[in-house]
Amino acid sequence: MKRIRLSRCGAQLLAPSPPRRPLCPFAPSLQRTITPHNHRIQSRLQSTAAGTVTEIDLDDFDVAEAVADELPTRPDSVRHRPRELLPSPEPRLAKQSAKLAALRSRLSLPPRFPLETLARTLVHPSADPDPAFNNGSLSILGANLLGYYTTEHLTCNYPRLPMTVIFAAQYAYIGPKALATIASEWGIEAAAEPGGEVDPGLLQFKRLRSGQDLPEPLKGKKAPRKWNVTTTNRILKSDEFGSQHAGHDPQALQRQPIPMEEAAQSFVQALVGSLHLHLGSPLVKRFYRDHFLSRHLEMDKLFDFRTPTRDLSKLCAREGFEAPVARLISETGRHTNHPVFVVGVYSGKDKLGEGAGSSLDEARTRAAAAAMKGWCLYRPLEVTVPSSTEGEVDPTKWKPNMIDCGEVIV
Amino acid sequence: MSTCKSLTRICAQSSRSTFLPTTQRRHESTARRHKKLLHVQQAPSFTPDRASPTLIFNPPSSAPSVYHTPLKFLPREDKRKDLYQKALNLSMHAALRTHTPNVAAPGTPLSAPSNLPPRPSNALPPAVRTPYDKKYHLTDVEIDDIRRLRLEDPEYWTRARLAEKFECSQFFVSLIVKAPEKAARVEGEHAKMRARWGERRTRARVDRARRKELWGRDE
Repeated sequence: MKRIRLSRCGAQLLAPSPPRRPLCPFAPSLQRTITPHNHRIQSRLQSTAAGTVTEIDLDDFDVAEAVADELPTRPDSVRHRPRELLPSPEPRLAKQSAKLAALRSRLSLPPRFPLETLARTLVHPSADPDPAFNNGSLSILGANLLGYYTTEHLTCNYPRLPMTVIFAAQYAYIGPKALATIASEWGIEAAAEPGGEVDPGLLQFKRLRSGQDLPEPLKGKKAPRKWNVTTTNRILKSDEFGSQHAGHDPQALQRQPIPMEEAAQSFVQALVGSLHLHLGSPLVKRFYRDHFLSRHLEMDKLFDFRTPTRDLSKLCAREGFEAPVARLISETGRHTNHPVFVVGVYSGKDKLGEGAGSSLDEARTRAAAAAMKGWCLYRPLEVTVPSSTEGEVDPTKWKPNMIDCGEVIV
Repeated sequence: MSTCKSLTRICAQSSRSTFLPTTQRRHESTARRHKKLLHVQQAPSFTPDRASPTLIFNPPSSAPSVYHTPLKFLPREDKRKDLYQKALNLSMHAALRTHTPNVAAPGTPLSAPSNLPPRPSNALPPAVRTPYDKKYHLTDVEIDDIRRLRLEDPEYWTRARLAEKFECSQFFVSLIVKAPEKAARVEGEHAKMRARWGERRTRARVDRARRKELWGRDE
């Protein structure tokens, strides 16, 4: 039985809808090459999330012209120049690049993801200042998506993590170093110098020469040492890693020399952003799970307690447990140069943590730190992340996540 | 080859003047006996007593993983709380039915750390420091006394002496009253002492502080 489209039933009563802007500049050319009218793509194009975000992407982009010519064109002053004088390779050359095709299949991206977009994600604003040809807008979208998925994964799976540890974990998952590593693992190579004649499968950016100073937007302003920058301030005012300055606008780096790490990071972010625009969020979530979340991060190494014993006794008092008592489980060589003490922290009859050390104080502190880690690294059994309900009609799948009452404040 | 010595050789030996007993002595003189000695019995946990496949659980003696949340830290609605409680009850029943050897009691060297719930026992290991309850017994009058004494003669009425007299902690005394002049003088003396240290001692102290920072990371 054919599905009735409810939106069409009362269409004659509604105001005439504005002519629809294609969300993807390459959509007309795509629909010619692949199965026309795949209902999945259709439903993705109708989703509000992708639409609102694309507004930014296409702001300074003449959509009508793009639809007419299928690909963005350069202004007249630049268009008739020889290829060597163009800032970045032309989009139509992407189809001929073996590197791009290899990259697409290496990342297991479906063929409906156009090579032209993949080529665009590799062009950093420092190489090509034209926002219609560089990856600045895509990388903003991608960075937001990566931050969103990582935050929800961390806060839902580890509801008791302190904020500083969440910041550190974010940095470890999607920080600039991690993204640059991911790009190099994907086999991304950088062009020596960007230009219209280089292979579109190479990462294009203006290189920072050795000994050269970082450009102004990358430096960021550091708060003076005597300022007490609180965690609340870092949550509100800074980027997702809790660094002391907010993230910079990628378009501010036009024609400025940048390090490779920055360019590789913007490529990975732009790729995620463009995947979201072309393939929709379910596929991006799978891509994120396979390439980012699958990286092993030892969460217990991110902690740094200054006064673990005090934290633990405050925690026990707050939660209504008996006060923690350190007990000597076993020891060896007390009167030698290398004694070993094994101390457990008990609250009542329950052991909270265990630690070994070469002095009683060390073992006690380690045991308290282990107990604090045991508290903070609690993982609930059933977790539904908020993004898993996107586009779901059935609300019964949603199970509220555990929310802890907060960090231990000493 | 016979392992016994001939009677004539024994008789010949006994003719010697020796204080050793004349009984026959045997040594590990063959490779077979050495091999037999080296054969160590397998641990009982690895020798299943039935033909069907069984689960062998023999964890190494190491500290429990921090990812295994202790029973007390699980929230009330967590399913694992009931499961742990059930397992604890089960092991308690089993322990009450079977005889537990005394050597394996907690606190003795033979008590093995295990990921299983601990054996039910009333005997907790001894505390590292004698546990105490906070008394909150000092009134305003005594606090004023502490303040007066400390300010009158900070040389004699040190924190330790005041803490002993008023049965409170030294930290509490430092909260009530501070003697900044004395603190500055003592700090100056210490700095003078530190300036006399050689390179090795300085480095050792720095390293010690650095090691101490690692305690909180539990690395």
